[in-house]
Amino acid sequence: MADLESAVDAPVAADARQEDPSYGEIVWGQFRKRRLAMACLYGLVGLFLLAVYAPVLASNKPFIWQPAGEPVQFPWFISLFDRTFFENQVDLFFNTLLVFGTIIAIPVAVVFVRTRNRLRRPRRAARSRALVAGIGAFLLCFAAVQAFPVQKQKEVFPRIQAQLEAAGTEVRAVYPPLPYSFRDGDIDQIGQPISRAHLLGTDNAGRDVLTRLLFGTRISLTIGVFAVALYITLGTIIGSIAGYYGGRVDALIQRIIEVVICVPSLFLILTVAAFIENRSIFHIMVIIAAVAWTSPARLIRAEFLRLRNLDFVSAARAVGYRERTIIFKEILPNAIAPVLVAATFGVARAILIESTMSFLGLGDITVPSWGQILNTGRTTSDWVLILAPGFAIFVTVSLLNLVGEGFRDALDPKLRK
Amino acid sequence: MLQYTIKRLLLVIPTFFLISLLIFVVLNIAPGRPGATGGAGQGEQQNQEQKESYRIFKEQFNLDKPILINTRFSLTRDEVRRLIEVAYNLDGTALARDRIKAQEALDDYREYLVRHLVELLDDPDPAFQRLVVNQLSVSAQQPFRNDRRGSEERRQRAREENQRIGAENLAVKQMRLDADASPEEIAAMVQAWKDWYTPDKQERYTFTGREKLSILLLDTRFAKYWGNLLYLDFGLSTVDRRPVLPTLLGKIRYSLSLTTIAVLLAYTIAIPIGILSAVRQGTRLDAIVTVILFIMFSLPTFFTGTVLLKLFSEGDPFAIFPTGDFQTMHSDPWTTWQTFKDIVWHLVLPITTYTSVSLAALSRYARTGVIDVIRSDYIRTARAKGLSEPAVILKHAVRNGMIPILTLLGGLLPTVVAGSVVIEVVFNIPGMGQYIYNAIQLRDYNAVMAVLLASSFLALIGILLSDLSYALVDPRISFD
Repeated sequence: MADLESAVDAPVAADARQEDPSYGEIVWGQFRKRRLAMACLYGLVGLFLLAVYAPVLASNKPFIWQPAGEPVQFPWFISLFDRTFFENQVDLFFNTLLVFGTIIAIPVAVVFVRTRNRLRRPRRAARSRALVAGIGAFLLCFAAVQAFPVQKQKEVFPRIQAQLEAAGTEVRAVYPPLPYSFRDGDIDQIGQPISRAHLLGTDNAGRDVLTRLLFGTRISLTIGVFAVALYITLGTIIGSIAGYYGGRVDALIQRIIEVVICVPSLFLILTVAAFIENRSIFHIMVIIAAVAWTSPARLIRAEFLRLRNLDFVSAARAVGYRERTIIFKEILPNAIAPVLVAATFGVARAILIESTMSFLGLGDITVPSWGQILNTGRTTSDWVLILAPGFAIFVTVSLLNLVGEGFRDALDPKLRK
Repeated sequence: MLQYTIKRLLLVIPTFFLISLLIFVVLNIAPGRPGATGGAGQGEQQNQEQKESYRIFKEQFNLDKPILINTRFSLTRDEVRRLIEVAYNLDGTALARDRIKAQEALDDYREYLVRHLVELLDDPDPAFQRLVVNQLSVSAQQPFRNDRRGSEERRQRAREENQRIGAENLAVKQMRLDADASPEEIAAMVQAWKDWYTPDKQERYTFTGREKLSILLLDTRFAKYWGNLLYLDFGLSTVDRRPVLPTLLGKIRYSLSLTTIAVLLAYTIAIPIGILSAVRQGTRLDAIVTVILFIMFSLPTFFTGTVLLKLFSEGDPFAIFPTGDFQTMHSDPWTTWQTFKDIVWHLVLPITTYTSVSLAALSRYARTGVIDVIRSDYIRTARAKGLSEPAVILKHAVRNGMIPILTLLGGLLPTVVAGSVVIEVVFNIPGMGQYIYNAIQLRDYNAVMAVLLASSFLALIGILLSDLSYALVDPRISFD
């Protein structure tokens, strides 16, 4: 009865429901049934939002700044694209995401909501158009941010405010909830214990630990996602070539993989990292990727070996598709699922590797990485500095692992509920 | 099976060669050279002695040679002239960076320069002639022969040879001109060099086709390194100038005693846990074990180590265990028992850390292994024919379910020997992990290279062992 009613109300929706679910929809449906994994996915989304909106929560620039008798200024907004304040490209990227990403996300979301009752083909077309347009617009914004650097003098606002008020000038200023910088320490505040002002105390340079943790999320997520994206791409291409062509090509690639696997990865990563002068987190991502591409390559190769003799591949060949089309458009979508599961675990592993590197002092020393905070904790023997970043790493890694596990179970037809 | 084993063993050699090539190239293209401080400098103003010692340093570690392929025999006279012009900034336009590069090239090219330098002696400009003479007095020095290995007789011969080379080098070194040399002095010295360039020298410094081929591939850093490697000579440490291998072997026992115990412990705990939670799959016990193991799995090693260290040894709140190191420094003689107790006392925390990290992964493997087996037909058969549950589990399920986890042992080989960087750094244990960590930071190339090579070799052997053990314990797998 209910079906009939809704069919009358929304005939298009009824049509959509009559379609057979696609493979992706089956997997997603299975995934949604796993409550823990779903909760963890929401947790990851929350973590990502924390990373994007970190400056809203913590910055020593006031949103609004108005000494008595002067016009209103917005130092916080300007600081978002200020190269002297956010020196790192990662922060610039996230700040672009914070400002322009939010703006762009709204129309894209509207398209997604509006098309939810359409048939699959038009829905997918509309959604992918919206996504491509959104990503393009974002990249344009990011390029613009790169092209027009804002250079503004460094001002430590809380201190100026204190000086002005001491001189008797009224100042109207609205700060973020945590009015601290993740980078600049306050010499008067070194090694503060937990208090209401500093919820997690301060470190040995007088920087607020909570603020640093918050900005550390950006570093960890970036390293995890980009390193994995890099090596999955590399491994997928190499693995598909090996698996599709087989024979000599396969033997050669297998030899290369064997060589790379034998080299102890952590030793090699540490060595290469130590030999790079002024290493940035981009170096670290590339190093991780250069060592880790073998496992997706092997997975993809195995899938290709299995799939390449199936009928749909022969059909594609008979129709006369180009080899590139057969490899990347026909076989790859059927072979990619296990790699995507491995990618989720891979992000967790990359985050662990990065924090190990910065714990050993071989990471990017200019960014507030969790491993680096923990290392400070080890040398200064401060419980908060050990437990807080350790907990952050633990939570992130756990969320990723649990999502990965849910994803893997969702793909496994034996476990289908 | 035998055929397969032999095939795999033979494959070890080329694979290891490729691994060494990979590591070597990666290490050598990395920017920054050991001992480069006060190295290649600015033309003549540079302190002569400092330059000399850096040159000898480079020669000793083969850093003056190209990495993989040597084409220096194909240098031409004009290239050499250009190098001298740039290095000494004769036309006044060379950039500092190019000058340093040219100077370094002149230092490194050594014997390949001599022939062209002698020809350049005919230059009409006395100032240029003087520079050529001085360059000759550096380039014509011969490298010493390595006398660190071989039989006593060979070493003796090498030493005599080196004495002769030393005497010749000394003579050559003195055939140079000061900046204020008069044209007559220069002309005399040029003549002296021309006399020095006797036919046998001409033969030495011109290269025949076969010599060129051997230079192309063999007079390189990589070939020299491999030449030493064949004698198990990993070279000298650039930090303490002592052979790397004995130092390395001395470190192994620390790492080995830590990791062997930890791995054994992890296995003995992980296997029963894995079996238990597999047999009780879906019960509350299984859920609790899974959650605890999951937490252990997600905790980074350095975090666990740091927390344990702080909790139990830095007196916050307990001060039970020592704060690191492998054993206590003491002057009075201890009995073996006392030493043993002391070492065990030191190793409790690192072993706990190591075990807790590997335990989680291992017992998950054990659990999956047993679960996979429990579903299979022969277990149902075993139950059907009336075997008791313990007999079914222990005799039929566990034996087969443990295959994957046992074959993991092979893969652990490199970790067992090379230890763990993080744990050794946190607990200050002077094993291989800490050794490579320090070597990396001091840019001790030969030491880093040796550790990387050794552990890659072990990994290679470990993979081989685990593949073979698969075939041995699982009759379903056959490689023939």
